[in-house]
Amino acid sequence: MIVPSLVLGQRAGVTAPSDKITFGGIGIGSRGAHVLSKLLNVEQARFVAICDVRNARRETIKSTVDQKYGDHGCQMYSDQYELLARQDIDAVLIATGDRWHTPLSIIAAQHGKDVYCEKPCSMSIEESWALGAAFRRYNRLYQAGCQRRNGANFQLCKELLKSGALGKLQALYANVGPSVNWPPLPSRDWLAAEELPPKQVLDWDRWLGPAPWRPYHSSYVTGGWRNFYDFHGGGILEWGSHTVDLCHWAADYDDTQPVEYEPVGTNVGPYQVNCRYANGVKLVMRDNAWDGALKTGSCSFRIEGDKGWVETGDATKIECSDNIRPLLRPTEPASLALENHVKELVRCIRTRQSTSASATAAANSHVTCHAAFIAYQRGKTLTWDTTKHEFTNDEIANRMRSRALREPWRV
Amino acid sequence: MQQPTQPAPAVPAAKPKPPEPPPEFREGAIATMDAAGLLRILSDAKSSEFQKAKACVRLGELGAKEAIPVLAGLLGDEHLSVYARYGLEPMADPSADDALRAALTKQKGVRLIGVINSIGKRRDAKAIPALVKFMHGPDVDIARAAASALGSIGGEASAKELQAALPKTTGMTRAAVADACLVCSERLLAEGKRDQALAFYTALSATDLPKPVRLAAMSAIVREETLSVKPR
Repeated sequence: MIVPSLVLGQRAGVTAPSDKITFGGIGIGSRGAHVLSKLLNVEQARFVAICDVRNARRETIKSTVDQKYGDHGCQMYSDQYELLARQDIDAVLIATGDRWHTPLSIIAAQHGKDVYCEKPCSMSIEESWALGAAFRRYNRLYQAGCQRRNGANFQLCKELLKSGALGKLQALYANVGPSVNWPPLPSRDWLAAEELPPKQVLDWDRWLGPAPWRPYHSSYVTGGWRNFYDFHGGGILEWGSHTVDLCHWAADYDDTQPVEYEPVGTNVGPYQVNCRYANGVKLVMRDNAWDGALKTGSCSFRIEGDKGWVETGDATKIECSDNIRPLLRPTEPASLALENHVKELVRCIRTRQSTSASATAAANSHVTCHAAFIAYQRGKTLTWDTTKHEFTNDEIANRMRSRALREPWRV
Repeated sequence: MQQPTQPAPAVPAAKPKPPEPPPEFREGAIATMDAAGLLRILSDAKSSEFQKAKACVRLGELGAKEAIPVLAGLLGDEHLSVYARYGLEPMADPSADDALRAALTKQKGVRLIGVINSIGKRRDAKAIPALVKFMHGPDVDIARAAASALGSIGGEASAKELQAALPKTTGMTRAAVADACLVCSERLLAEGKRDQALAFYTALSATDLPKPVRLAAMSAIVREETLSVKPR
């Protein structure tokens, strides 16, 4: 039996007989399994339960976990409420499709759980604010799956900005990926109806969850849900949730959003959204090819100050202006970021310190992405009031700030 | 210093081509249609479920108030109810509130929950009396939705009803009422009604409430007491 650390008062500083932070998982597919593989290697954590609407995935995760621990302790659920009702679970790993991220995270917070949730973390501006509010309300920890915040090469770039080496911040560049994969405007079409599998194999109603109803097609449930508007925010949200997040983090803009969004380009790419913060700093979301012009790897971002610039990505290397080069130092590979990120959450659950990718940070970076996405859909420059949380020059854009959730779900 | 470089991740290999949507499930011209055309789709018996779904969403984006009665007529449809709410929720015109309130007496089960959720999102204070009845009703899922809507609507009237419901409700309903109380307290704080909010938080610190709620309430009290120079 695993005794929850909360019950034993570990969080109050009392040494507990059981020192493990207990995790459950909801909707663990390929990406979630990657995160889980890092979590299973954290000595202070223990994964005890999996919930998934797909029977095969439940079995796969249970098998992986039980093999790792050498027992049969991982319990399986198809109903998230049953997993969340377990008092012995401290935190949950949420890696469902995007449509579920905010509702599930909020439900988890209401059940007193801390959360690691994959990105994109929300489906709309409204959901983004609801997410931030819920985690403040319940005083729970949230770690968005923005692991690059714990990547050494990314951290060195931030350090160079904060130290003043780059001078006064002028512009941030977020690579929003190759439009050929996921264009900025996802499809609003449906796929042809296929025969529904038995509910015990796949619960389609629960798979859809808060997304609007549509007929079943097997492609959706095997990863093909991306690039459909009801399930996905297109390239801007998909990649912006990676790299706009990095820009906000590096500039300490985790509590704000740009005030202007100018869409440029076409849906077949390349495309760009030029944004501006109230202080005049630019944020450029650019479809800069998967590897970026400087071959800094996927999910690259760039910081430009009035004295120099730096750019890095998943290739670990840092490109920079000549004057910055003497300040560089070797960093650990970017690939270690995920392990660091998961460990940070476990550490924060123990200490109750804030995580680096909090719900507030995720809310602000995601609102930025959603606003850019709406500007792209509207095909015009939009201006945004960061206090009233509304567009000031387009009522249709304001009506696109939220999506109706299929009953009975709400945020 | 030269940075150690790792090979950049390769460009993702070309994936198998995803299935193509069939012609009858393509949005096409609906995406740019005006309100009159969209209304024709909704009133045409030959229109497909797909066409109606897309028309609802588009009408909501356009904010076409003339569509409100037609959208309200779809609130009981198993597949289209969410699309009807997609259309109704962003409408600025108050007749959308009237339509949703009227639906409270027509819809049942999960469709009723959808209507209640939309009313909560629109923060329609005129719906408070009806929502209070649902909150005290026998259906737990509907009661939970009603409590949540009352929390979203906020204000002193909702606060009073939610506080009164705390000792009268049990189990899952009570948890939802408590969550709504927390939301309502935040709204009171935002309106400058600090004393009322703090009293609410104190009530929510009672030991027989779910632990996450108690912790949230106590955290809020600590936050407020340490943020403000004004004594309680």
